[in-house]
Amino acid sequence: MTVDADLLPSAAVGPIADAVASGELPGRVWLYSNYHCNLACSYCLTESSPRSARRELDPGFMLAVARQARELGFAALGVTGGEPMLLPWLPETVAAMADELPVVVLTNGTLFGGERIERVRVLARPDIAVQISLDSHLADVNDMARGPANFEKVIDAVPRLLALGVRVRIATTTSGPLDDPALDPLRKLVASLGVASDDHLIRPIVRRGRADRNDLGVVAAVSDIPCELTITADGAFWGSFGPTVRAGRLDTDMLLTRTVLPLSVPANALLGTVRGMPPGTDARLGIR
Amino acid sequence: MPRVELFDVATSPILVSDYFRDGDPGPIVAALANVPELVGPTIGFIGAALGDGAASTRHKEFAVLRTSVLQGCRYCVHAHSAASLDAGLTVDEIRALRGECETDGVFPDAGERALIRWIDAMGGATGPVPDAVWEAARDLWPEHVLVELSVTIGATMFLNRFATGFELPSSHETVDRLVEVGLE
Repeated sequence: MTVDADLLPSAAVGPIADAVASGELPGRVWLYSNYHCNLACSYCLTESSPRSARRELDPGFMLAVARQARELGFAALGVTGGEPMLLPWLPETVAAMADELPVVVLTNGTLFGGERIERVRVLARPDIAVQISLDSHLADVNDMARGPANFEKVIDAVPRLLALGVRVRIATTTSGPLDDPALDPLRKLVASLGVASDDHLIRPIVRRGRADRNDLGVVAAVSDIPCELTITADGAFWGSFGPTVRAGRLDTDMLLTRTVLPLSVPANALLGTVRGMPPGTDARLGIR
Repeated sequence: MPRVELFDVATSPILVSDYFRDGDPGPIVAALANVPELVGPTIGFIGAALGDGAASTRHKEFAVLRTSVLQGCRYCVHAHSAASLDAGLTVDEIRALRGECETDGVFPDAGERALIRWIDAMGGATGPVPDAVWEAARDLWPEHVLVELSVTIGATMFLNRFATGFELPSSHETVDRLVEVGLE
């Protein structure tokens, strides 16, 4: 059985819990565990690559965020990067975080070859999902954006993760319409790998970070970015698309606070900012 | 060159974007925006400390300008020489407060002279305020005004260190205005 994190009841009380329960705030808190990556995708929001400054969070900090997120009334957690799986301690930390709230961890899926897949056995539980990027059913098209042999490694990893009992989600990032029939073969491929259709997300490239430099994706206003509280080594941001990097410089337009713990500080700043937005400025671009 | 990034409308963090909506909010806010959650409380405090209160605008400018001179803050001396003109101080009074001439000859009012000595002891020295300076000020000013001005002086000392430590630039408009009246 899988767990839809946003539907979990919260025992917490207070303004954040109320805002999450009413839908005023999204339920998920994101953490950028690190910014470096073994790939250098053409549309990467954070210009991540093997040479990127790591800007890691440490495991104790991530657990503290997880615990305080639950106490405040958030419903779920997300871990992204960079490539989180480059951190040797990441699987055990995600498992510990899931003792607080359900977690989705994003990965490029290239680090599960051979025996290495054993390290994520701890993620085989219903309150953890591993979300892997896959952009095309054609290896050459996928790999052009994401790097050599990416397609092959992902296609190899997904069934093996599922066999291990790990819940797998696939995220497809596209420059075309989200309902483009050209994505149908990819949908079929994802289904053939054993991933449920509800666990296949299709979303637009957001024109920030390297995507902006490469002239890719949709221009997104702040109101188009889901206001999911996002924690990084540089502070707390409005949404996981906020702490982007362009020409080596951190974008600050969606910076909320430099204070991240106690988590109530950025959470209350986020809630105050949401309440200050003009009515009708709801997200329209399907960014998630 | 300022030593920290001065945010502008394009880079301003979402939490403080209101401060940038009408254009450049000045280097204090632009520098404070590095820590967005501090902007509101800090500007609120500065506004309360330097803004309207029981003490007159004229005497608040005494406190701000004199303290800034004593703390050696070029940015605040520029900004509050101009603000003092707006508050109705004469060029000679501003020169005297800036230490460019004796204050006693420019300020005939005994209360204002006592106030300036007390400001000097509060904003330009360490240790206790000398008894004679305190007693002279207390005899001529209500205690609540002195308490209020002590907050003005304290806020000014923060601004002095902030602006000087980060080498915040004076605006060209302010400097040009001071040149025009012979204060620069």
